[in-house]
Amino acid sequence: MTSALRVRPTKAGVAKVDGESSWWISAGTIVVLALAWELVPRFLDDRTLFPTLSDTAAGLVRLVSAGYWWSDLTGTLMSVVVAWLIGCSVGLVAGIALGTVPFIRTAITPYAIAVQALPKIVLAPLFIGWLGFGPQSKIAIAVVICFFPVWIDTMVGLALPKPNEFKLMQSLNATRAQTFWKLQLPSAVPMIMVGVKHAMLLAFTGVLVAEILSASAGGLGTLTKQFSSQLNMPLTFAVVIVVVVIAVTLVSIMDVIERRVVFWSEESRSRKS
Amino acid sequence: MVMMMTKTAPLVRAEGVSKEYRGRDTQMVALSGMDLDVMDGEFLSLLGPSGCGKSTALNIMGGLLAPTSGSVMFDGKPVAGPSRDIGMMFQQAVMFPWRTTIDNVLLPVEVFGQSKKKFAAKAEELLSMVGISEFAKSYPWQLSGGMQQRAALCRVLIHSPKLLLLDEPFGALDEFTRESMNSELLRLQAHTKATAVLVTHNINEAVFMSDRIAVMTPRPGRLVGIIDVPFERPRTPELALSPEFAELALKARSMLELT
Repeated sequence: MTSALRVRPTKAGVAKVDGESSWWISAGTIVVLALAWELVPRFLDDRTLFPTLSDTAAGLVRLVSAGYWWSDLTGTLMSVVVAWLIGCSVGLVAGIALGTVPFIRTAITPYAIAVQALPKIVLAPLFIGWLGFGPQSKIAIAVVICFFPVWIDTMVGLALPKPNEFKLMQSLNATRAQTFWKLQLPSAVPMIMVGVKHAMLLAFTGVLVAEILSASAGGLGTLTKQFSSQLNMPLTFAVVIVVVVIAVTLVSIMDVIERRVVFWSEESRSRKS
Repeated sequence: MVMMMTKTAPLVRAEGVSKEYRGRDTQMVALSGMDLDVMDGEFLSLLGPSGCGKSTALNIMGGLLAPTSGSVMFDGKPVAGPSRDIGMMFQQAVMFPWRTTIDNVLLPVEVFGQSKKKFAAKAEELLSMVGISEFAKSYPWQLSGGMQQRAALCRVLIHSPKLLLLDEPFGALDEFTRESMNSELLRLQAHTKATAVLVTHNINEAVFMSDRIAVMTPRPGRLVGIIDVPFERPRTPELALSPEFAELALKARSMLELT
């Protein structure tokens, strides 16, 4: 989940190292880490449990060249996408309902706080019990885990317009619907995008955890569990690397979409400059 | 002044308008018993220090606030809420950053459910009148503060309101930009023949811009008198150097009890 850090908006100028020197720092850390990974397991004298970088690379090559796990990969990806789409829709609708109807906000807020505090993964056994080991329970668990940030960010985003902006709409005698479509929703889009990006990684986490919990489900989570129970650490690591590559790719795609959609927000403008 | 003599019916008539805010055990009188007529076509300033109720009076005229007591008539009808014939401008430009400048100017047209196409030519004409037509497709955050307020001026004029309510519209700008914006405003007001009410705390600005100045003082906010400003239009910067100008500014100062 280190990549979740990239989802959070960063304040402009904070921790900004100038281009050239930051390039060397990144390259330097990669070299140091790679060397450490290659050398430290040799001193530990237990290369089965702690494979070196080259062992892991060999495992990755073996995994990628074998075809047996493609259905696991596509199964996981499909579940993530479906759960993410459902989670975002549910979050958006819930956020709009709470953000625009004071009655619903008052009625729901105590539950929202309770749900926020709840480590939602504890609900996983319930869903597996209700829905079985198939993709349905995976998707349900992922939806429950991922919809929350979209919900909250939508709700917060709808309240972002400044008093003056509401006053302008009021002076034009705008209806509530017009104020929503022309002011509140566009203002909320940058926040919603943050929630949607966060939800993508949470959906991924949810699906993987569900797969690890229900060993017969298939998917990349099941695969890591199987490999680790065989003490085949290089292949376990190889699956982890596949997961990392997918997560980074997803986040990068979302970043590109975000920059296109909210090019006008102060956040994206400050990142560009 | 000529217009005032030919058309004597007031466009706005405020009678005994008061606004009080009640807390649990506090009571704050923002505006107390204001009687004021705004004549059709005139430029009137509400001048006073902060807390004198000038913005409150403006918001009541615009139908954004309901008075605690008293009544306001606009164009012969009681004010019950915001009207399409009234355009309001605030201290900030209030441009939506996701809309291009021209789309911001066209916002009232959209809200009123009219065809944007029909008004596009007018929007472009207004933008070129204030000298920012080349920024029509730019976003407001690519514009300076002065240019944003020029766009806001176009937005308030797009639907040709009879009455402009201007709440220190250039108060956030630097002195030089502010002066040129004021001339721009006078030029456009003369061109559109709209009636204008300007809220300001700047005495020279009030004298330079207005046909009449309504002087207000705080605690409680009330109207203490009206100064007629008989200078010809169009007004030039040299006017501010004349002894007559200084005399009126001094009169305003004494009514504000600043001397």
